[in-house]
Amino acid sequence: MKQMWKVWKRRTTEDWIVDGVIYLTCLIILIVTVYPFYYVLIVSFNEGIDASMGGIYWWPRKFTLENYAQFFGDLKWLRGLGVTVLRTVVGTVIGVLFTTLVAYGLSFQDLCGRKIYMTIIIISMYFSGGIIPYYMLLRELHLVDTFFVYVIPGALNSFFLMVGLSFFSDIPSSLRESAKIDGASELTVFAKIILPISKPFLATLALYIGVGHWNNWYDSAFFVKTKELRTLSYLMMEVINKSLVSSSSAAAAAQAGSATTTLSIQTAAMVIAVAPILCVYPFLQKYFVTGIMIGSVKE
Amino acid sequence: MKKRGKLRLIKKQFSLQMFVWIGIAYILLFSFVPMFGILMAFKDYDIVMGVKGIFTSEWVGLKYFKEFVSDYNFANLVKNTAGISVLKLIFTFPVPIIFAIMLSEMRSLKFKKLVQTCSYLPHFISWVIISGISFQFLSSSGIINTLLLKVGLIEKPIGFLTDASKYWGFAVASDVWKEMGWWTIVFLAAIVGVNQDLYEAAQIDGAGRLQRIWHITLPCIKPTVVVVLIMALGNLFGGGLSGSNFEQSYLMGNSMNQSASEIIATYVFKVGLAQGRYAYATAVGLIQSVISLILIFSSNFFSKKIAGTGLF
Repeated sequence: MKQMWKVWKRRTTEDWIVDGVIYLTCLIILIVTVYPFYYVLIVSFNEGIDASMGGIYWWPRKFTLENYAQFFGDLKWLRGLGVTVLRTVVGTVIGVLFTTLVAYGLSFQDLCGRKIYMTIIIISMYFSGGIIPYYMLLRELHLVDTFFVYVIPGALNSFFLMVGLSFFSDIPSSLRESAKIDGASELTVFAKIILPISKPFLATLALYIGVGHWNNWYDSAFFVKTKELRTLSYLMMEVINKSLVSSSSAAAAAQAGSATTTLSIQTAAMVIAVAPILCVYPFLQKYFVTGIMIGSVKE
Repeated sequence: MKKRGKLRLIKKQFSLQMFVWIGIAYILLFSFVPMFGILMAFKDYDIVMGVKGIFTSEWVGLKYFKEFVSDYNFANLVKNTAGISVLKLIFTFPVPIIFAIMLSEMRSLKFKKLVQTCSYLPHFISWVIISGISFQFLSSSGIINTLLLKVGLIEKPIGFLTDASKYWGFAVASDVWKEMGWWTIVFLAAIVGVNQDLYEAAQIDGAGRLQRIWHITLPCIKPTVVVVLIMALGNLFGGGLSGSNFEQSYLMGNSMNQSASEIIATYVFKVGLAQGRYAYATAVGLIQSVISLILIFSSNFFSKKIAGTGLF
């Protein structure tokens, strides 16, 4: 108690002012970050027509589950959700396996031609032919307007490859060599020894790749024409674009025979799109710094 | 003799080589093959020619580049691309540093953790959802306009999303909002690594809080700051650290704010994929890629000279 008092007494006016500014700023940042999400959540539980009149700040005024019922009753949204889940699962499995396999191979310093391989990867990180030639390639490979355009072209990401490379390089080579002496093949070593000890890394990689797939709207917008193949993000983008261009009253127009509006169903869709990310969020926090700073990998 | 040694090594590493070859083949296919398409930028290419046409069509030199420079959109596109990018660099780069210092100066660990954890949530949310949230908040019937009208600060709704004069500010502010917390992680990690003895010594010498921040924290995190700055500069025209220029302009640009929101990247899409002018769009895109490449190499070069650290 006495010591506490000493600490407090030692504090200068400067300390008080600095602390005041810091705590106030951080409180504002906290509110500005969290409130928008909270607002969308409460609006999604409010009757659509009622919400379009505004004035909802803290709690739904007319509570309803109608927006969610409409979302899950609409084949368009359901299909979008289905396609998104499927591409996330398939894309993540392919992406993780492919990335780790290649990164593992590259992590051997004495690999023949390693320098050439690394140069190729680094060039691909900083230069590209641009979107038009890329589109032409996808068309030539008959990937355009198929489900595969979601999972095949992006299966090996140079950035994640670098993350994996730095991870595998930290595994002591004695561990890799010991099994080989027993006559196990490289693939066996990889599957039986390397993968099990890399679980935390695999999980992180899976989450990053998964979130990327879940959020992607870009390939659905530019490389796919079939309505049945649209992703959830793309469908949301469509609604937002329509409501921006047309007057807001048209966007708030009621759906036939119910109290929901296109906009209120969209808030439900937004909550559904954010929810899985919130669920995996605590696990995403591992390896953050390595993930960000990997751009500065030295070769 | 040496060659035979190499062959033996490859044989020994055969399965490892197989792993890597598949990956490299993949990168060659999806990253390097499209680079041949750049030829289109210098050729009289038309969609109807198919892929073969890229190689067989007539050379036209810099025709498309001249066409772009004399396009009535040119000045505006360059102004928007450069303006938004530079503004983003000015704001999105220092804000995380300041925020990180603030967090590190906090005594209450619980509040610090709460603020930090929440602050990088928006990083994982797609721009599509952010644009949806923006609409809820900033449209003419959105929550902010409603509030301002109620209080009587304004007489008619502000067109945050539809007024061209508001787009730059909106783009920069939403980018800061989305990515601030994420980049704070990097700087915070650097600050945690600073030797605590330095602070104690400075305190004994009578240095105040601000002096300690200025003379100890900032110099100690300088290497990290430099590396992140190169990354931001290298992707300047993509939108700096977050590379958000294209997504923002595409998702939040509309027919009303187009004069301020259209950038080179979205223009490439419009004339390329929508209008089918492949050769012209490739040429326009190439200009930006080359400038970016120059930027990343020069910023890397200078940082190596000045700070002794670089990306590669």
